[in-house]
Amino acid sequence: MRVTVAVAGEDTREVEVEEGATYADLLDPLPYSTHEVSVLVDGRPVPEDAPVETEEVEVLRLVKGG
Amino acid sequence: MAGPDLDPEQLDRYSRHIIMDDVGPEGQAALLDASVLVVGAGGLGSPVLQYLAAAGVGTIGVADHDVVERSNLQRQVVHGDSDVGRPKVESAAEFVRELNPDATVEVHETAVSPETVADLVDGYDFVVDASDNFPTRFLLNDYCTLAGVPFSHGAIYRFEGQVTTFTGEGPCYRCLFPEAPPEGAVPDCATTGVLGVLPGTIGTIQATETVKYFVDVGESLDGRMVVYDAAEMSFEEVTVRPNPDCRICGDDPIDSVADVEYSESCAVRAD
Repeated sequence: MRVTVAVAGEDTREVEVEEGATYADLLDPLPYSTHEVSVLVDGRPVPEDAPVETEEVEVLRLVKGG
Repeated sequence: MAGPDLDPEQLDRYSRHIIMDDVGPEGQAALLDASVLVVGAGGLGSPVLQYLAAAGVGTIGVADHDVVERSNLQRQVVHGDSDVGRPKVESAAEFVRELNPDATVEVHETAVSPETVADLVDGYDFVVDASDNFPTRFLLNDYCTLAGVPFSHGAIYRFEGQVTTFTGEGPCYRCLFPEAPPEGAVPDCATTGVLGVLPGTIGTIQATETVKYFVDVGESLDGRMVVYDAAEMSFEEVTVRPNPDCRICGDDPIDSVADVEYSESCAVRAD
C-alpha cells in the first residue's frame, strides 16, 4: 500500500509498504528513528508497532533546544 | 478615556497599545497586572523577556541556573560581552529593569526540578517554556497542565523551530510526545549548531502568544504546532488533538508530578 508521509518542516513523500506494515516501517526511508519523532494520524500519535491503517500520516520531530 | 490604573508616564510609554481598539487601556492594564515565568534565559528566553518587558508585563520571573558563556552571545541577546561568567538571571534581570521600570523582575537562579517546580510556578499566571532539555520540558508540561497554568512551548534546532501554546483547553505536550527520547537520540544546539537569529523568530512568537493571552485577543496556537524552517522561510501548521490516553490531561490522569521520573524517558510510572 502507498502512504503519504508528511514530515513537518520538510518534504512530503510517498512510501510503499506491505500490507500489515507498522508505522515504524513508514520511517524506514527517513533519516529518523522512532525515538526522534511522533507519527501522527488525525492529530494524535499512533503506536510505532501498530499496523498502518491510513493513507496519510504526519511526522513531527522532537526538538529540545532553547 | 484611560483606565484609572495608568499614570501619565504609562499612558505615554504604552500609547501605541492604548490607541489600538483590541488592546486599549484595559488590555494594557491587564498586561501590567500579569505575572509570567520565563524558564530559560537563553536563545528563546532573551526575545521573550525583551518583548514582555517592553509590553509592560508587570511581574516577570526568570528561572535559569547557567552562567553566560561567550558562545551564547551569537543568539542570547539580553546578555552582553561583559556578562560572560555572570549568572544569566542577573544579566537578564538587569536588561529588563533597564528597558522598563514598570516590570518587577523575580530572579530564580535554580534548575526546574520536581522539588522546585511548585515553588517556581505557583503564583504566576502564565509560563513560557524557553528551556533546552527534555526533563524540564516534560516537567513543565506536566506540572502546568495538572495545575491549570497555561504555557507557551518553543524549541529550536539548526534552522528549524517549533512553537505552540497549551492553554488547558486543548491538548498538552504529552498528547503529542508521550515520552522523551533516550538521551543522545535527539541532538542539541551545542553539538549541531543553531542559526543565531532562529530563536529570535520563535521566541518572539512565544511572546506574541503570551501578550495575546492577557489582552484576550485573536486566536491562540492551542491545538496547532507551528513548524518554522528558516532555510526555506516556510511556516507549516500541524494539528494536535487532545489524546484520551494522555496520562497528564486524558481520561485517567496522574495525581502529581511525583508519579513521573524526570530522567531519560520521563515516563509516567505504571499504576
